[in-house]
Amino acid sequence: MTDETTGAIPAETIGTDPVYSLDELSTACGVETAWVVELVEHGIIEPHGRSVSEWRFSRLSVVRLAKAKRFERDLGINPAGIALVLDLLNEIDRLKARLNVKDPRAMSPGHASEHPDLS
Amino acid sequence: MEFKDYYKILGVERDATQDDIKKAYRQLARKFHPDINKEAGAEAKFKEIGEAYEALGDPEKRAAYDQLGKDWKGGQEFRPPPNWDAGFEYSGKPGGADFSDFFSSIFGSARAERAGRTGRAHTTFHMRGEDHHATIVIDLHDALNGATRTITLRMPELDDDGHVLVRDKNLTVQIPKGVTEGQSIRLKGQGSPGMGDAPAGDLYLEIRFKPDSLYRVDGKNLYLDLPVAPWEAALGASVKMPTPLGPIMIKVPPGSANGRELRVRGRGIPASPPGDLYAVLKIVWPPATDEKARKIYEEMAKELAFDPRAGLGV
Repeated sequence: MTDETTGAIPAETIGTDPVYSLDELSTACGVETAWVVELVEHGIIEPHGRSVSEWRFSRLSVVRLAKAKRFERDLGINPAGIALVLDLLNEIDRLKARLNVKDPRAMSPGHASEHPDLS
Repeated sequence: MEFKDYYKILGVERDATQDDIKKAYRQLARKFHPDINKEAGAEAKFKEIGEAYEALGDPEKRAAYDQLGKDWKGGQEFRPPPNWDAGFEYSGKPGGADFSDFFSSIFGSARAERAGRTGRAHTTFHMRGEDHHATIVIDLHDALNGATRTITLRMPELDDDGHVLVRDKNLTVQIPKGVTEGQSIRLKGQGSPGMGDAPAGDLYLEIRFKPDSLYRVDGKNLYLDLPVAPWEAALGASVKMPTPLGPIMIKVPPGSANGRELRVRGRGIPASPPGDLYAVLKIVWPPATDEKARKIYEEMAKELAFDPRAGLGV
């Protein structure tokens, strides 16, 4: 399991290969299957396969589902809202990536709390 | 142990209504949620807000907290008076396993109830362990070359008596070469242990990059601001620029405008297929501080029929 020379645990990048059925994904993530179906209907996670019985989910779905769960638990957002938040966050990430990251104002951790009305 | 001023943390007055408290909590939770706010310290702040709301959002707990008196200041050394909470009973859920010592000292910890719950689990019950999710912040360099990094995670664990304890767990992780920002990596079997014969859950780490001094990152692609002289942009030139794999010469085409992007194929993050590196031209003007430079600028002003404001219609 661990690399013998360094003692480090190898990590694998997760991909979009199908690994879980609907039931397996729900069990792995500790959520109701109905909620998973809702996430699929809103395009938050995208299974391989056409019919519900053929659905196979990737590990990327596991990560996105966990994030959706946090949004629901912590902020009380429903699946439609989660889909919107994820899209907007994606857009913000893309825009931020193109800006100059060295701007000290943008990166200062204290900045947001000093000007709470600006955000 | 430090006293925590939960009213101050939520930014409300001591006589705020339960609705005010809920509203303040929701606003702060949206703002500092670690999936939304990626600044350092957001996660700690989010936890602090959650703890404050756990205490003040519940009228019973709030009454107990208020009983401590209003003379305490946040950060002050605190020791709960003996039997101070006699007469209060909390009917709500137990608090999160990793609330502060201060919270546990006045409201009790999550131990008792959790112990009861796990105590009921029968030994022949098999269930795969829970997956854990966390974020890891790495240097761009680590993604370009692969790296070994040690991270510390706070994980709830069960002790021999079935009590929930929060332990710091150190893990040394091999970060694969070619990961990108926002991508997740998986450490098999590093989540919660399984029950019975079932396997342990996995640990998923979402990758975030520290800001780099040279490159900006967009997915697999890298962006570098490449300063050029006005004559290099106007006449074309071959200039030296850094790349993650070492410096190269790049051709600036004649007539290049400020902000023009030149692509260096395959010199981005070494994913499969690898990303590209873009040089973004930044035209830099020599200062007209000495006589020679001023002469040249004066000559250009006289000789060139150039109106930079031609497009403004004035």
